[in-house]
Amino acid sequence: MNQQTTSMSPENASGRLLNFHIFRYDPQQKGDKPRTEVYQLRETPGMTIFIALNQIRQQQDPSLQFDFVCRAGICGSCAMVINGLPTLACRTLTSKFKQGDITLMPLPGFELIGDLSVDTGKFMRELAERLKLWLHPHHHEIDVHSIEAPMAPEQAAALYELERCVECGVCVSACATKQMRETFVGAVGMMKIARFELDSRDGRTAEDFYHVIGNQDGVFGCMTLLGCQDNCPKDLPHMQQIAYLRRKMAATIL
Amino acid sequence: MNRKTHRVKWSGLLDLTQSISGILLAIFLWVHLCLVASILLGAEAMQWVAKTMELSFLSADGHGYPWVVTVMAVLIGVLILLHVLVALHKLPLTLKQQRALNKQMHVIPHEDTKLWRWQAITGVIVLLAAPVHLWLVGAAPETIGPYGSADRIWNQGGWLLYVPLLLAVELHAAVGIYRVVLKWGLAGDDMTRIQLRKAKSIASAIFILVGLASLVAFMPHAS
Ligand code: HEM
Ligand code: SF4
Ligand code: FES
Repeated sequence: MNQQTTSMSPENASGRLLNFHIFRYDPQQKGDKPRTEVYQLRETPGMTIFIALNQIRQQQDPSLQFDFVCRAGICGSCAMVINGLPTLACRTLTSKFKQGDITLMPLPGFELIGDLSVDTGKFMRELAERLKLWLHPHHHEIDVHSIEAPMAPEQAAALYELERCVECGVCVSACATKQMRETFVGAVGMMKIARFELDSRDGRTAEDFYHVIGNQDGVFGCMTLLGCQDNCPKDLPHMQQIAYLRRKMAATIL
Repeated sequence: MNRKTHRVKWSGLLDLTQSISGILLAIFLWVHLCLVASILLGAEAMQWVAKTMELSFLSADGHGYPWVVTVMAVLIGVLILLHVLVALHKLPLTLKQQRALNKQMHVIPHEDTKLWRWQAITGVIVLLAAPVHLWLVGAAPETIGPYGSADRIWNQGGWLLYVPLLLAVELHAAVGIYRVVLKWGLAGDDMTRIQLRKAKSIASAIFILVGLASLVAFMPHAS
């Protein structure tokens, strides 16, 4: 990677000067090579990485590619690696970095669209199809007149907790197991399986789930490195849930 | 009959094998170190431990059965073999996987992943060093004792093997037990995890110190 500086000296100085070291590479463009470019920007109060990136794109380099939709930590599209930590750009304040040097890289392990933009959507869709991540009701015929069975509030709360996943892909990119073995399902898939396993409305048995994740691409391939648990921007309980699945799946042997 | 239920669930069995063999090896390792550390109490203490381990109390002449040590060495060898067979599925064996791991550690330097990498590295060191150790003691069990062992360690260059083996295996086993607790969900929350990490580091440090001290304690007995 060669370093290249495209700085503009920002006027109306007030905040400190931030140096953004941003990974640049457009796979669509013939002959383009991965490199790091440096951009300088004055920090403003309450500035997030998301705000900074928009300013850079507006004022310095319109070709810079990155994703965002909700800018509120809900859509999960702005995940990237910020100074070695994969997380949501819209929820990361620049003031967190005392040095003023901020390095941005795209999430590893996903198809690169360009610069900081990766295709998590394609991954999540294929995962859902592979693991059948939707509710499989006990009975297949639908009777609109039958009354839905009530769910215990504790179970509803547990499901809600797991439903908070925004499919940002951080847990997948933070997992070295996944980087070493492409076919490994990754934490998000297991979290979703755990969600349906807990759901009393789902008719699948432990035996059924064993066929999906009871293998070395699933829960028995997880080496408990815990990059998922330590980086999930929604603080979901990966360690607990994957361990729970591991016990469940191991118990089917007995 | 459902044919599926008759299929052997290898992935699950292998994962259980890894944990169980790891726990057994760790228990053995720590007990073994305590026994060797009897040299810190003097030659007589270790002589007594060595004889007792050879089940001297069962033999009429009080000499015991040194082959018991050989049997133990073979058993430990088998346990290590089982453990390694599963570890081979997890270690990055291809250049592509090693590159992927290195790149990942560069982009996202995550602490527990580093810990695992150390576990993999120390595992390979143990794999190379442990069989030599098992062979040395398993083939000559009658020499184990304050003088025979001291001779092996300090006159025949045994320390060149034992120092790296001690460092590697004590790091490996403590991280391993930490991982077993986390992977099967025996520690509920992040708080327990932080405490566990501290505990496993302290365990490694203490066992390494005791081990090194024991090696030094053999020195006066090597004539
Ligand atoms: C006395 C020797 C040994 C002890 C006490 C020991 C102990 C352990 C323990 C307790 C674990 C955790 C088990 C688990 O994750 O389920 C473990 C994991 C591991 N061991 Fe060992 N081990 C020993 C020898 C070896 C050797 C010779 C290798 C050779 C390659 C090895 C490679 C590994 C690897 C790669 C893991 C990580 C497995 C994973 O990521 O799931 N170990 N060990
Ligand atoms: S589990 Fe957490 S890190 Fe993984 S995709 Fe969902 S929100 Fe992102
Ligand atoms: S922009 Fe939606 S989560 Fe960041």
